[in-house]
Amino acid sequence: MQRDIAIVAQAQVMTDSIDIPRERMLFDLVKGLFDKVGITRHDIDGFVLNSNDFEVGHTIANVFEDTPCGAYMKDETHVEADGMWAAQYTTMRLLSGNYDTALVVGNSAGSSTFRPYLVMDYQLNPTYDRQLGILNELSTAALQAKAYMAKYGVEEDEFNEIAARLLRNAALNPYAVRSKADATAGDVLASDYLYEPLHELSCYPFTDGACAMILASGDRAKELTDKPVWIKGMGNSVDTYYVGERDLATSKSARMAGERAYKLAGISDPAKQIDVAEVSAKFAHQEPIISEALGLFEEGSAGKVAGEGLADLGGSMPVCPSGGGLGAYVFTANGLVRVAECVRQLKGEAGEAQVSGAKTALAHGQDGFCAQHNAVMVLSTEEG
Amino acid sequence: MRNVGIIGVGYTPVFVSKRKDVNIPEMISEAVDAAFRNTKLTPDDIDAITFGNMQTFEGVNMPHLWAADHMRALDKPYMRIATGGTTGMSTLHSAYYHVASGLHDVVMAITWEKQSEGDSQVGLSGIVMPEAMVMVQHGMDLFGGKGMGAMGGGSTGAAAYQAMSYLHHSGADPEHIDKMAALERSNAALNPYAHLRKKTSVADIQATPFISWPLRFGHTCPTSDGATVAIVASEEMVEKLADSVAWINGVGCATSDPATGNFIEGQITDPAEQEPAKMASAKAYAMAGIKDPSKEIDMAELYNGFAHQSLMWLEKLGLCKQGEAHKMLDAGALNIDGELPTNASGGVFSTNAIGASAMNRPAEAALQIMRKIEGGHQIPKKIKNAVSHGWGGMFQYVTVTVLGDEPRHG
Amino acid sequence: MTFEMGEETREVQGTWDISTYNYLVNGAGMKLLVDSMKEKKIRGIKCPQCETVYVPGPTFCRKCYIDIDEVVEIGETGVVMSYAVEMADVRGNPLEEFRLTAMIKLDGADTWIIGTISGMDWQDASIGMRVKAIWVDEPAGSLADIDRFEPI
Repeated sequence: MQRDIAIVAQAQVMTDSIDIPRERMLFDLVKGLFDKVGITRHDIDGFVLNSNDFEVGHTIANVFEDTPCGAYMKDETHVEADGMWAAQYTTMRLLSGNYDTALVVGNSAGSSTFRPYLVMDYQLNPTYDRQLGILNELSTAALQAKAYMAKYGVEEDEFNEIAARLLRNAALNPYAVRSKADATAGDVLASDYLYEPLHELSCYPFTDGACAMILASGDRAKELTDKPVWIKGMGNSVDTYYVGERDLATSKSARMAGERAYKLAGISDPAKQIDVAEVSAKFAHQEPIISEALGLFEEGSAGKVAGEGLADLGGSMPVCPSGGGLGAYVFTANGLVRVAECVRQLKGEAGEAQVSGAKTALAHGQDGFCAQHNAVMVLSTEEG
Repeated sequence: MRNVGIIGVGYTPVFVSKRKDVNIPEMISEAVDAAFRNTKLTPDDIDAITFGNMQTFEGVNMPHLWAADHMRALDKPYMRIATGGTTGMSTLHSAYYHVASGLHDVVMAITWEKQSEGDSQVGLSGIVMPEAMVMVQHGMDLFGGKGMGAMGGGSTGAAAYQAMSYLHHSGADPEHIDKMAALERSNAALNPYAHLRKKTSVADIQATPFISWPLRFGHTCPTSDGATVAIVASEEMVEKLADSVAWINGVGCATSDPATGNFIEGQITDPAEQEPAKMASAKAYAMAGIKDPSKEIDMAELYNGFAHQSLMWLEKLGLCKQGEAHKMLDAGALNIDGELPTNASGGVFSTNAIGASAMNRPAEAALQIMRKIEGGHQIPKKIKNAVSHGWGGMFQYVTVTVLGDEPRHG
Repeated sequence: MTFEMGEETREVQGTWDISTYNYLVNGAGMKLLVDSMKEKKIRGIKCPQCETVYVPGPTFCRKCYIDIDEVVEIGETGVVMSYAVEMADVRGNPLEEFRLTAMIKLDGADTWIIGTISGMDWQDASIGMRVKAIWVDEPAGSLADIDRFEPI
């Protein structure tokens, strides 16, 4: 990449239902981040905000987010997609040389404001799918789970194992809104079916929250932190909208997004070269689909991965030590949270969830039904 | 910094009140196809796509995902931008940065709106939705005008106050707004891609009633269905692929607080001041190496939802001193054959597919520089530098793109 | 059998039900304001750093980016920053009575509010003219406690 860009610091706030106005949540979060890094809003050259109109119930979602995020009388723009795209766009602005320091903030009050499932309904083709009412977030995800099970001979229990692992990991994450330190596949199985084979505990919890990150170029990043997390590569790709035309057991767009990021980052063997991966899975079954597409595990290996603990904290390829989307899923901002969790890992700030010696991390974000749109960033402790 | 140029533009065949013959992805794909035709490129030539509109106007969330196939976006990097009225230009800026970052070489920016399929009132009132309800709960009279409030200016809203303030500070008369309106509508009559294309005289404008004095019915913009697509490329790819180019030499954007509708937390911004316009244009001019825009800029495409705004933006963007714009209008300098042709396209005032409106401005400026204007509004003089401008939010967002016939660094 | 693109376009309806949203908004500034209006006073919040006075008061200063809570009282008189005269509705039907409304900056505040000005001919209005708030006889703690503005 034509410039070295790093993440200086991250901040997160998450709850299952906020009791303060969203604008106040943003101010507290961003101000806290500025104070932690020792800068003011005047040190930020460009602001990139990230939220969704339908979720916040505001036409032009960022209209009331600008001032709380410190962007009053500043250079500001807004990405309306998963937070990973906001992080990528912020990186592009820095790469151009037009900016040296940037702030990216994603937020959602999806739990208290408006149900994420309904927000997803409005993503349906309004002339047909929305009218029929058969497809929705849960029904399409269930189809996706079944597709994987049928193709690879995997049982629901494997997904429940993944969910249980994520809930255990989430117990080590101070930001998670749902967790269970001793969760088992049995616990997940015992939770209500939301849409067979999806259980309540294998689906993401509604989460209100926000995530803010300061990015900077080379020298500036080193001035602001002694542990910059360097962005080595990034990419994204999109599949067809029509779920019936995709092989739901795999993810072409996740694979292509990964390939693009790996190419820039010089990664030829992700399973070996990635030390920790934060994948955006809204449902437990999406984790193997996406991880396999990213080359982290063999195709169809969910059972083996769960059985041998390969994705566990101490496994050969730790996935979502944060608990991932099942511990907390901030609608829209989630991809940013995955980046933030990689930052915690690479800075050695992940506490009990620390993957020891983590030097290279992968963050992933998704959008659309059955992860139609996927984005990947590769991060590293090494500059240049 | 990497040089990036616009190598082509595509419009839907028309911008009209209601396209009943196509759905959203079909409509947008018309502009995508037009861009391919005009540049002789194919989808394989496109490395990445950016996409923008104001989604609450159609009631479809994340429409870029539904439209992905029609956009020829499959298997490509794809990104959605949404910044209210400035969306069109923010989406272009995103495409610009995709290339300026060094990561991509040829990027398509897609912008559009199909307001006829939604409810514009709902879309617009959604901007102030919870805040307005709080005010009403506390006794604000929404329509009767009694009490202390934040809603005023009738159906033109704060634009009426902005117009009045502009007239006061510039010394212009209300008749100058009529004159600017007639000029732009007459320009639009020459533009096959404009919405309101009836040749209009000052008398025609003055025959329309005042809604909120000094603003008349004839000073307001339409709502249009339509799409505008631009293709940008790096310098190397411009040489390989394009027979003409308009270089993006300067970009800038700035945000103030919501000038209206943030009543519950105090409104300090004067909607007539438009401080962000000064900030954004200063940034864009500096980047483009323009030291005196009033001398070096040859044409302007300004985002004017209301006719007085053309005159106001000329001053706020430094194209003339305060109080000079209406004199330039009187002298004929703003005409297509004048020294500073302003909104030769007819502006947003004549065509407003809101997600595309801020893209139409740089698109038109690019076509003018490349001398590829279809229709009768090609500016006769040579355009070396052009400024295009976008505006939106609650009177708070401004984006500026400065285009030139030569790239910035030799 | 050949397939032909249909010429018929059908219209289908959908809804976007924003009435089901639950918003949390900052109520502190409004409460301070309407409580003060019950006493026929107008109160806001001042930033100690830049001395900007906001009415209604936010919980943080957007310029200095700090928490603010200093309560100040502002005057019931002020200056007209701009004005407009409502003459027709959105469809162009003339209103029976023209309404003169203005952006008014009350003395001591850096914020402005919209108010209707009565008791004068709209042709005599000007930017910079001074007005004063006319209270209702029995304020109830509401934005409607100020009935209108009149020129001074």
